[in-house]
Amino acid sequence: MGLISPPPHHDIYSIEDIKQLIHDLKNANPKARVHVKLVSEVGVGTVAAGVAKAYSDVVLISGHDGGTGASPLSSIKHAGTPWELGLAETQQTLIANKLRDRIVVQADGQLKTGRDVVIAALLGAEEFGFATAPLVVSGCIMMRVCHLDTCPVGVATQNPALRAKFAGKPEFVVNFFEFVAQEVREYLAAIGFRTLEEAVGRTEMLDTRHAVRHWKAAGLDLSPILHVPGGDEADRDTPRHCVREQDHGLDKALDNTLIQLSEGALNAGERVRLDLPVRNVNRTVGTMLGYELTRRWGGAGLTDDTIAITLTGTAGQSFGAFVPKGITLRLIGDANDYVGKGLSGGRIVVRPHPGAQFTAEQNIIAGNVILYGATSGETFLRGIVGERFCVRNSGALAVVEGVGDHGCEYMTGGRVVVLGPTGRNFAAGMSGGVAYLLDLDPRRINPEMVDLDPLDDDDREFLADAVTRHHTETGSAVAHALLADWDASVGRFGKVMPKDFKRVLAARAAAQRDGRDVNEAIMEAAHG
Amino acid sequence: MADPKGFLRTTRETPKRRPVDLRLRDWNEVYEDFEPKTLMGQAGRCMDCGIPFCHQGCPLGNLIPEWNTLVWRDDWAAAIERLHATNNFPEFTGTLCPAPCETSCVLGINDDPVTIKQVEIEIIDRAWAEGWVKPRPAAVKTGRRVAVVGSGPAGLAAAQQLTRVGHDVVVFERADRIGGLLRYGIPEFKMAKHRLDRRLEQMRAEGTEFRAGVEVGVDITAEDLRAGFDAVVLAGGATAWRDLPAPGRELTGIHQAMEYLPPANRVQEGDLDHSPIDAAGKHVVIIGGGDTGADCLGTAHRQGAASVTQLEIMPTPPPRRGEAHPWPTYPMIYRVSSAHEEGGERLYSVNTSEFLGTEDGAVRALRLVDVEMQDGRFVPVPDSDRELPCDLVFLAMGFVGPEKSKLLEALGVEYDVRGNVARDSSFMTNVSGVFSAGDIGRGQSLIVWAIAEGRATAAGVDRMLTGREVLPAPIRPTDRPLT
Repeated sequence: MGLISPPPHHDIYSIEDIKQLIHDLKNANPKARVHVKLVSEVGVGTVAAGVAKAYSDVVLISGHDGGTGASPLSSIKHAGTPWELGLAETQQTLIANKLRDRIVVQADGQLKTGRDVVIAALLGAEEFGFATAPLVVSGCIMMRVCHLDTCPVGVATQNPALRAKFAGKPEFVVNFFEFVAQEVREYLAAIGFRTLEEAVGRTEMLDTRHAVRHWKAAGLDLSPILHVPGGDEADRDTPRHCVREQDHGLDKALDNTLIQLSEGALNAGERVRLDLPVRNVNRTVGTMLGYELTRRWGGAGLTDDTIAITLTGTAGQSFGAFVPKGITLRLIGDANDYVGKGLSGGRIVVRPHPGAQFTAEQNIIAGNVILYGATSGETFLRGIVGERFCVRNSGALAVVEGVGDHGCEYMTGGRVVVLGPTGRNFAAGMSGGVAYLLDLDPRRINPEMVDLDPLDDDDREFLADAVTRHHTETGSAVAHALLADWDASVGRFGKVMPKDFKRVLAARAAAQRDGRDVNEAIMEAAHG
Repeated sequence: MADPKGFLRTTRETPKRRPVDLRLRDWNEVYEDFEPKTLMGQAGRCMDCGIPFCHQGCPLGNLIPEWNTLVWRDDWAAAIERLHATNNFPEFTGTLCPAPCETSCVLGINDDPVTIKQVEIEIIDRAWAEGWVKPRPAAVKTGRRVAVVGSGPAGLAAAQQLTRVGHDVVVFERADRIGGLLRYGIPEFKMAKHRLDRRLEQMRAEGTEFRAGVEVGVDITAEDLRAGFDAVVLAGGATAWRDLPAPGRELTGIHQAMEYLPPANRVQEGDLDHSPIDAAGKHVVIIGGGDTGADCLGTAHRQGAASVTQLEIMPTPPPRRGEAHPWPTYPMIYRVSSAHEEGGERLYSVNTSEFLGTEDGAVRALRLVDVEMQDGRFVPVPDSDRELPCDLVFLAMGFVGPEKSKLLEALGVEYDVRGNVARDSSFMTNVSGVFSAGDIGRGQSLIVWAIAEGRATAAGVDRMLTGREVLPAPIRPTDRPLT
């Protein structure tokens, strides 16, 4: 099935969004460093400063020369500036704003030699990314067909016949990096440094006279690139590289309590039932608990509902992000944006407080970008949610009573049931999964990649089960009314079905019927 | 792009050669026709690489993936336009080039390369058959006169390029027919001469003037040449052959390959009934294991030689690329040309120490000795002396450079350390207005390099004459194949 590439990040529309994402990721694995990759361009320094303030552990300045062979030609040719310029700007902005000491700066974009590494270090990077060069060392010949599954040297392909042609060895890559390291040492020795760390940010060591003497560079003033904010004397002690870690504030998370109270489940798989209040300052609830569960029980998780937590109040951003199988979060109240972001097998239920005076199905129960990039698990939301619902969902089930614009955009798997109104541009770029809409209005659908199909028996069976469970979990009045006369109600649903997905499902069904290899048949159908 | 998965579905296929006993009875080209559908499938194997190494492998910079794609799409008219964009004479390279493009084909890293040469010849054959190859005379004449001395592939390429941008070009050839090695060096069975003739016809129609049978420097003095022309392109080739100064070299029956091949070609032209050097019924030895040796081999078999033995001083090359010749270089491997297929024996690691003669001074045998390479020198293997009886010996041991002719002497051109005519970055010699193109400046090389030299030299000449930059220069004088 087609997957829209490059992936649009519909969960990030502001620096606040990325700050939240960094926080979510840090919760998802507190031991991992969070990197933010920025395209080197004019103004990247300002973005990097924002990223540093948003508590990213590393900022990567990526130059315009790099890129995968799968990127569109327009991106390869016209995106970004050289990493040297972006790196210099980033380093200066971070130092000027006293942020350089708490973020690691990395550079990449066709670094190939020890000379590149040393120049990047002098301009302010302390880490260096290589991709093309080691790939070429291991056999890549830059065919630019990484996206076509036809790589003739077996580097970027799933085809077993082509993978067999891969002739690279790890030793080649080791050898390459030993050469790079050797060259770095030679340059450092020539400059008079003992370690690479000493060289970071020492732009005064760059001799530009030879380059500027070239006739093409005549009249060029490189001093703004080599400038060190504050000058040498005043800021001798201002760090030019990272000397301390970011304070992510994880110690203040509600999850510390949840983890403590869930010891029985985490250690022995025992059932745990918790009932706690929640406030909107409690961001990313359940994520660090999920990290602990996954760390101890692996990707398979625990049986559903092993840890069942009922929270009452208003949850902060990213309620239940990345929650794995075995955890059920029931929220009585309402939630903010990003509920169930990256949901990985857990269950989330959100319903209004029983004392609420409003009609649930006419009011917003949770915010934007819910279930973004969810891979599995299920979510029942009694009420309307905001925009970009289930964008890039690849396997989760969701039942909701109304969605804003751009629902199910780029969805590749899973099932979505909407028991209420739908915003415009529903199912744009949707290549997989199925959506069931009550009283479907075709004008709301983006028809480019999907068909509107009638329900079959399997659909009706699935819908009956999903609506029943939605009613059980949330006490939904809408579900109650539908179930009261189900035979009539089920006819009100319309099915949104991606064309590619339909073809693959048909191929699978045919293969199963004929006793053929299912995977082979699916590959055939997918490749047309 | 051509078929993205063509190389996964289709295996390499080349046209069959006609049966040996059949083709030995005539002098026609040895290949059978190729089914167009098959050929299109072969073109579809081209992967349209992100980095097309064939562009580097071919000194002409032929736009190989482009015309492969066009052939695969059955758009032959566009294909010949793309092919002619970089190559004046695809029918010459399509028949004679050893195809460094194919040895640098990316598919060749771990599979059989695309049949680039076959696609090339089919495109141009189709173009001639359809009447798409038309004269392209210059729209505007410059009034400048250029003399091209030598009518081999380099001279012809330079002449065509210069004629097409409006100069009045006269090609001089000391032989009685135009074509140089193409005419009298290459045997008919490798490239039929009608290919050459129809191309010359096109060039005449474009306005190029040919004067055969004129040895410049003898029949016309260098002064007259300089006075009559604004520029001179020396394209006389590297015709000074390497000899074998072993005892007995003066015996009769020992000939240079280039003494043997021209009269054989003259028989084909109808000038002679029989070649004065005829291998019929003779035991023939060819010293030299290269392409010229193979040409002698095929010619001797067609003349009805009793036996043919080809000697090579180097050891038998490996069947596949060795570590010394990694992709995308042109590898030294054991190749079986059409001539080798037709018979004869190949001996490797042997050196001729002496020619043995009869009492009346004719060669009767060679004294051979096995050799092995030690510290970069060939050393005889003890007690490996033996005699190889023979009636006729051909020396095909390569060419050492241009003949130091009266013309070169009179012009006063300088030579480089290898004895070739030296030139600057625009292919001009030390004598202003005198250029050198092809083997005369590069030393013995491939036809594809000769055409590239001709094109690049034409660019240098045109720039000098007009100051404009309209002609392409695919190579620099110092460019060499990747080794």
